[in-house]
Amino acid sequence: MNKNLWMRDIKVIPFLLPFLVVYIIFTILPVFKGLEMSFYDWSLIRKIEFVGFENYQKMLFDPHFWRSLWNTTLFVILTTPTMVLLALGLALLANLNSKLKTFFRTAFFLPSILSVAVISFLAIFMLQPYTGLLNTGLHSIGIEAEPFWMADKILSWVSIVVVTLWWSVGFNMVLFLAALQEIPESLYEASEIDGATRWEQFRYITIPQLIPIGRVVILLQILASYKVFAQILLITGGGPAGGTRPLIQYIYEVGFTQNNMGYAATMSYALFYILLIISIIQLRSQRLKES
Amino acid sequence: MRKWLIVVSLMLVGALFLTACTGGSEEQADGQSENDKEVIEVEMWNLFAAGDAQYMQNIVDKFNESQSEIFVNNVTQENAQYYTKLMTSVSSGKGPDLAISHMHVLPELVSQGLVTELNDLGKDVGIVWEDFNKNILDATIYDGVHYALPIDIHPQIMYINNELVDQAGLLNEDGTIKMDKSPEGYIEFFKTLKERLPEGTLPFASSSAGGNPYWLWWGFYTQLGGENIVSEDSLENPTYNIDLDKAIQAANFLKDLYHDEEIIRLNVSDYYPDFQAGNAATITAGVWATGTWEITEGLDITPMPIPNVFGEKGAWANSHTFVLPYYQDTDPEVQKAAIEFMDFATDNGAMWAQAGHIPAKKAVIESEEFNELPYRNQYAEVANYGNFADRNIYARGIEEILIGHLDTVWSGEVTAEEAFKKIETEVKELIGE
Repeated sequence: MNKNLWMRDIKVIPFLLPFLVVYIIFTILPVFKGLEMSFYDWSLIRKIEFVGFENYQKMLFDPHFWRSLWNTTLFVILTTPTMVLLALGLALLANLNSKLKTFFRTAFFLPSILSVAVISFLAIFMLQPYTGLLNTGLHSIGIEAEPFWMADKILSWVSIVVVTLWWSVGFNMVLFLAALQEIPESLYEASEIDGATRWEQFRYITIPQLIPIGRVVILLQILASYKVFAQILLITGGGPAGGTRPLIQYIYEVGFTQNNMGYAATMSYALFYILLIISIIQLRSQRLKES
Repeated sequence: MRKWLIVVSLMLVGALFLTACTGGSEEQADGQSENDKEVIEVEMWNLFAAGDAQYMQNIVDKFNESQSEIFVNNVTQENAQYYTKLMTSVSSGKGPDLAISHMHVLPELVSQGLVTELNDLGKDVGIVWEDFNKNILDATIYDGVHYALPIDIHPQIMYINNELVDQAGLLNEDGTIKMDKSPEGYIEFFKTLKERLPEGTLPFASSSAGGNPYWLWWGFYTQLGGENIVSEDSLENPTYNIDLDKAIQAANFLKDLYHDEEIIRLNVSDYYPDFQAGNAATITAGVWATGTWEITEGLDITPMPIPNVFGEKGAWANSHTFVLPYYQDTDPEVQKAAIEFMDFATDNGAMWAQAGHIPAKKAVIESEEFNELPYRNQYAEVANYGNFADRNIYARGIEEILIGHLDTVWSGEVTAEEAFKKIETEVKELIGE
């Protein structure tokens, strides 16, 4: 190896090392520890006994596991397409050569920098019945209904999805926006000379150029949506009657209020395998198409 | 030049590591240097928020100023992760010398051997157990062994807005309410409030989900003579022991307040503001709400125990207690110092009562200092009969199951019978019956 290159590699080590050490201790090791825990009866404070696949068996017949997994999956089904399409739409809007360009970019991205506690509190403030902004608004325009945005079976899902869209669509938008700006101007110029309309430019230049980043966005979105937890916990508490409780909330409750860390670890691994399989399928299909 | 860069960057990284690692111990050294070397430091963890935290700090400050041998280092931990942190740190030998525990978590600490027996140590320090209210103290004794020193009891009580209740003609001259102490009388009281008060004024502020209605259900269940959800003969292996008829009767009674009579509004996420703003005639809440009402200008209230409508006195209650975490190598001096502080703090229960809680020591309840505080003595009697959660290691899980299913009764989604069928299945599964 070239000596200079070698020197360069040496120099990066001290910069990477602190992160790597912390990463190994707090992320890599717990992953393996979690696998070990899933085979044990393990309370919050100590390992009790080896139980083999008992926790996994219990999981397969646990209706709460399946219900909360379905809730999480429903959230993924509801948010992934909406999130991707909305992000694309907003990115196109923010990419327009208008005077409002900076305003759009800031406005769409702004909610993403807020913490989950803040957005949840704002959501409750707006959605609560009798005194909330939304229902008061409905009353003031003459609608006398009192919809329970956070307590109704269906409306609670609408609320959670809309709040999540508002909160986190900005990140996807930035990814799309960056990709939009990467598209060479020459493609548009050439097509203009050939007499392409705006729609044809969008259909045959913009969309195909955005497909690679679109795949990344979809994968990231599915992974992120499967990990949904905090905003549901804070807005509906998983209610009404467990109707919106996502898998991670159930894992959290089993682990930290029932002190059953072994079973909580087992369910975490189930989620991990689901995400792993989705990622593999996604990456495979991408590679197939590219080749 | 390049070599220099490498050396400098390595040093920087090293320096960062060192400061990160030594940050904690430096603080401790500072703390010690302020005091004499012979001073015994007792590290205490608490889970209090806002008002409660301040009142506890006042007691700690008073203790630290009152003598020079012991220094209590009071550390407020984040509430949501408190018990996770306490249990894991004590079991790994790195926890505090003294900690606060709620009454319903105590069985977990006792069962896992995380707290120290206080019989002998208490004798050494001179704790007189008879000084404590029996109802509260009994809940801290397991097979004749004291595992905690109770600080308070904090039951759910009822508050009325004097102005509104008077306006509806339901206030007696002596400040009590015109309510017949029967199920019908209870409902009638709220119906009258609803009829006579202007539209938009609520007869009863509460929530239709979570703790508050569950506590009221538990209170009525106790009043009906119901005692447990599960038996209290074993911390680890209790048996399902609900008095089903009474549980259903109490649930249906409460459900009617939401539906048949429309006395409590459904799905209010925060029910305090209605009462605080003077838009609700009554409210049920934990006694800790007293502190909120008394700093609200223009709010004229009377607190009172939950009306006894079913015959036996009963109300939901919880309690804060002091515990001594168990370690294999403990310094008895530190333990005794910790117990001395516990005794001091409970003697100064009137300071703690500022937060609204009812102090656990009988002498405090009779003291001038306590009785000079407004409101507190109007509900202090609940200390004698407030009903704690069943004692077992599943208390937190059982509470979660009950709240989840009772919520569906309040919302009208299922009948009380259906809810308790599910509760039975889930509780039995949880306790491994």
